[in-house]
Amino acid sequence: MFFRLLFESFRRQKRRKSVALLAIALGMSIATAMIAVGTDVGDKMSQELRSLGGNLVLTPIEDTLDVNIGGVNLKPASEGSFISESDLPKMKGIFWGRNITGFAPFLSAQQTITTKERTVDAELIGTYFTQPLSYGKQDFTTGVRSVNNWWKVDGEWPQDYSTWPQDQAPNVLAGSKMAQQAGLSIGNLIEVHGKKLRISGILNTGGPEDQAIVAPLHIVQQILSEPNAVRRVTVSALTKPEDAFARRDPNKMTPVMRDRWYCSPYANSIAFQIHEVMPNVRVEQVRQVEQNQGKILSRVSGMMLLLTLAALLAAALAVSAAMAATILERRQEVGLMKSLGASNTAVASLFLTEAGFLALAGAAIGFLAGAILARKIGQNIFGSAITVHPAVLAVVIFAALLVTFLGSAGAVRKAMQFDPAVVLRGDA
Amino acid sequence: MNRPRLFLRLLFKAAWVRKDRALTALISVAVVATIATAALTIYSDLEGKLSREFRGFGANVIVTKAQGSLAADELNAMSSTLAGKGMVVPVAYAIATAPDGSRVVVGGADLRALRELNSWWSIRPVEGSSGKAWVGSRAASLVTPANGKFKITFGSHSAEIQPELIFLSGSDDDSRIYLDLGEFTALTGVQPNTALVRVEGKPQEIRNAIERLGASLPQAEVKPVRQITQAQISVVGKTRSVVLAASAVVVVLIMLCMVATFTSSVLERRKDFAVMKALGASNKTVNFLFAAEAASLSLVGAAGGYIVGSGIAFWIGKANFDAAILPQPVLLLPVLLGSVMLALIASTAPLRLLQQIQPAGILRGE
Repeated sequence: MFFRLLFESFRRQKRRKSVALLAIALGMSIATAMIAVGTDVGDKMSQELRSLGGNLVLTPIEDTLDVNIGGVNLKPASEGSFISESDLPKMKGIFWGRNITGFAPFLSAQQTITTKERTVDAELIGTYFTQPLSYGKQDFTTGVRSVNNWWKVDGEWPQDYSTWPQDQAPNVLAGSKMAQQAGLSIGNLIEVHGKKLRISGILNTGGPEDQAIVAPLHIVQQILSEPNAVRRVTVSALTKPEDAFARRDPNKMTPVMRDRWYCSPYANSIAFQIHEVMPNVRVEQVRQVEQNQGKILSRVSGMMLLLTLAALLAAALAVSAAMAATILERRQEVGLMKSLGASNTAVASLFLTEAGFLALAGAAIGFLAGAILARKIGQNIFGSAITVHPAVLAVVIFAALLVTFLGSAGAVRKAMQFDPAVVLRGDA
Repeated sequence: MNRPRLFLRLLFKAAWVRKDRALTALISVAVVATIATAALTIYSDLEGKLSREFRGFGANVIVTKAQGSLAADELNAMSSTLAGKGMVVPVAYAIATAPDGSRVVVGGADLRALRELNSWWSIRPVEGSSGKAWVGSRAASLVTPANGKFKITFGSHSAEIQPELIFLSGSDDDSRIYLDLGEFTALTGVQPNTALVRVEGKPQEIRNAIERLGASLPQAEVKPVRQITQAQISVVGKTRSVVLAASAVVVVLIMLCMVATFTSSVLERRKDFAVMKALGASNKTVNFLFAAEAASLSLVGAAGGYIVGSGIAFWIGKANFDAAILPQPVLLLPVLLGSVMLALIASTAPLRLLQQIQPAGILRGE
């Protein structure tokens, strides 16, 4: 009898049920989309902030001071020590290796550069552009084109030669200001240390590189006769904003705390892990980037979180109101059932079971629609989809049940308070 | 009883007798108005609020002079161009010799201003020191591991340096020693030829300020620190888009939800409708009555929603940005009008359907 009532109620009141279902589904798709966007916006913004360049910098431990004014390195190439280039891929093997989105090694020295017409003193910088590398079974490419993505080249990016090319002069980039001052243009040949290089593009960075020649790392290593040498590496890593726990000294922690610290992607713990695989390297946060990006990220995700909360409350109220409206209109039904001898419990359980079915169906539809919306938002704004965690489905089902029950329960109670005779006469 | 009074009585009684029905309709409108107001208020102030956070990145423009030093009137020109929205810190550099014969870069600047600009520096005061020099952490570890006094020489001059504090910046500055500008000039005779400039404001305002700086300083080179300006543009822009997209989704969906509630509550009143018709009311009168009811309910709901929504935006600003997001009076009219329009559409559309049915049919329960 109960199931028949239930079934017939759905069959005969299609319009009423579909309005309720629509309201629940809409509310739940808001919940799904907002939870997905709100929780993922931090990661997405973190990727956007990678356009600030590296947030960790590697230098040799046994090093002399940098002699660097206005971005121009005045330290002789022979002074100080180096990082071994062949060690760099090891970074991908650390616990948070996946969070290292890229790195760019640098080796630079002041050189006399001979153009067709004159000679100028300028810095020669060697780096990776899009160097293919492998670590274990992992193949990846890295270099300034991804790490320093604000670098713009007019012309062609040079390739990353592994050895000095036999047939022609290797391609290099000339900084925009240097090109202007020395009268260099694309296709020109220059000579450094008796070796010929060809300008394939003009580089514009807005930084000191504008006054330099930027060449593939292995070419510069050969010119300076320093094979396998790197002076500095900038690393771009996805990190978790620093908190009080991140700043603590890992050597003074209990083993359990140390594990938790080690397994959190703080800049400090990633730096620590890089130092473990490359003991001769000092790893430091670029504090300007690292300290500030955390602040920005927490502002953006905090705001989205609060907005999500507001939207969830709004959706809950809207769904409750819709459920209450559909049940309030059915007081005649309640009156009829009660006059035929149904107990309050029987009536309430019938209505709440109906609401439960509606909530489940609405949650399922809403989850799917919300997931599609979140995906679209991600693709349109960040160029990468926002995927909804399956756990959100559980949250959404729970929320749907809670909200519909709350909305229905009040209305059912209200409907039962009236005298059936009065309701049936149409006086209430 | 005359017609207008009867009309008002009908209107008032309809809401009063069925308070619960009126309340659900009111809540659903108020929720739409609240969330729309909150989202739009936040959106309108987001660019300014988020841009403010980028102050922490320090100098976003570097002004350098290839020949000579920055004259006082040039520095004044920079300050007046910024008009209080930012700061200018002139710095000078020279290479001095440390006691062990190694070379070290010494900088001269207004140290308090430099500290304010580079807010990310982590600073460790040297205990019991009466000195004034700020020593980078790498320079300190190589030149004065015990943080005591040391001597540096520049040409024929030499000076005794006593560190006041050791700083960690994670940049080239760690290899430098900073002195107060006056002391630096006395030692080296070098005047500042570089100015670190922080321009504050929205991306567009920063771009304009950079242009104005370039125009007012023809002798100097004005260079934006591109990674910072670019990151600001992309983060501010993307956050705005994401807030806009999410709010649009929420507002549209909640609106649909409200329309569904409203429509359903009108459809349930088909008996009222039929009785009125049977008693001789014209379609026009009935439509007008229902529309007036919807309009007055939604007006009250929207006004309440505007107040609550502005409150939510205010609170989000306080809680998240430490600065209130003030209510936008411009939004009041669109929110009210939009809610009333929606309510009118939602309540009068179902009446068209009802008008096609004979009142007798409805009353018989068909």
